Amino acid sequence: MKIKINGKKEELENEINITELLLQHKVEIPEAVSVQLNGKFVDKEKFKTTFVREDDEVDFLYFMGGGKS
Amino acid sequence: MTGFTTRSIHNKYLKQDPHNSLHFPVYDSASFEFDSAEDIEKAFLGQKPSHMYSRISNPTVENFEQKVKGITNSFGVVALSSGMAAIANLVLAVALKGDNIITTKYLFGNTYSFFEKTLKPWGLNVKYADLTDASSIDGIIDNRTKIIFLETITNPQLEIADIKALSEVARRNKILLVADTTITPPYLFDSREFGVDIEVLSSTKYISGGATSVGGLIIDNGTFDWLNNDKLKEDAKKQGPHTLVAKLKREVYRNLGACLSPHNAYLQSLGLETLALRADKSCSNTLALAEYLEKQPEINNVNYPGLKSSKYNDISRIQFPNGAGALLAFTLDSKEDCFKFINQLRVIRRATNLNDNKTLILHPASTIFCEYSTELREEMGVSDTLIRLAVGIEDIEDLVDDITQAMEVLK
Repeated sequence: MKIKINGKKEELENEINITELLLQHKVEIPEAVSVQLNGKFVDKEKFKTTFVREDDEVDFLYFMGGGKS
Repeated sequence: MTGFTTRSIHNKYLKQDPHNSLHFPVYDSASFEFDSAEDIEKAFLGQKPSHMYSRISNPTVENFEQKVKGITNSFGVVALSSGMAAIANLVLAVALKGDNIITTKYLFGNTYSFFEKTLKPWGLNVKYADLTDASSIDGIIDNRTKIIFLETITNPQLEIADIKALSEVARRNKILLVADTTITPPYLFDSREFGVDIEVLSSTKYISGGATSVGGLIIDNGTFDWLNNDKLKEDAKKQGPHTLVAKLKREVYRNLGACLSPHNAYLQSLGLETLALRADKSCSNTLALAEYLEKQPEINNVNYPGLKSSKYNDISRIQFPNGAGALLAFTLDSKEDCFKFINQLRVIRRATNLNDNKTLILHPASTIFCEYSTELREEMGVSDTLIRLAVGIEDIEDLVDDITQAMEVLK
């Protein structure tokens, strides 16, 4: 299954939820990360019930000062 | 962990400290290095949780922000160099030229000056209303109104608005309700419960541990839909609830440079841990002093919302169940009497601040409000005969004794 994470193409074996994706991707400080799925923010409470599917675009973002406003 | 103090003491670090330090260390470094150009790029794009430059973010400041977030259950927190920086950053982030703010003339003198002297020439308008009458606000709201701005307890008038009623007005009109909670910071006031969207406050006072350092906070409760704000609605389509924090961190806060220093963030993190203890003591001292002053024939018009005689006592008990703050005011017969009384004090200090551990006294008309005409000061509820007492955490007997001996000059 092909998806994009932070603009880069990646392969996933199965559909997985956001929590699993954060673990698999070894995202730093998962408590502080915000996740956009296809341009829309996912509530942290919905990480476990939101699944990433074929052609999805996922962005991991931190609001520490970097990034475009 | 449910208790305010427990949560403020045992906040979890975002990253484990390499030495398992029990107190989060002071990272007194302007800049932070990276292993590769790719990593710097990721940090600048907001894809890596790394600090780059302390004007924008810093580990010690971030830890302080996380502590505040933990005790307030808020959506986002930005720590700044002062309470005035918090107000300035917020207004500049959410309002445009031609917009207006609704507030009251019963404002902290520097906030009034910021609105009138700094913002008005840039085209931002301010409308003054009686915020204790929420029903009067609807009539002056227009399509350029961006904020209803209040102080939870006005300083030094000690007026208290019905914040839930103001929140209903703000919700109905889809505008932001901003509360300056300096006099009643978290622990004394739960802003979420009363429908406040954004808190701004001077952490210089209670939070710093009793005036150890200057600082400010913007606390975003995450309750406002930023699609309703003309300036931020395009950002809101992409950033949703993160809109304000992103606007601040990636533009306004970054560009204005009013960052909190790491050392001050460390002091304020420590201060937060004892906030509830100090607030309990100073609030009980204030009530005791107010009750004592009320019985003295030399003292006129003792004003403290915690007093049963205050017209704000009922609303104060509802909004500030842990205490009505540590500010009281009273009047004497003349400005000369005020000065004589102030000069006679031996324990209480002559200084401009509040929620210091020390009790401080001030004549507002000749200090914070000295730049305004007598007529305007009267409109602002600051007469020449008014004295403000910001009560600290000393032993109450010593404060009563000091006031008692000082009153001799009034006889």
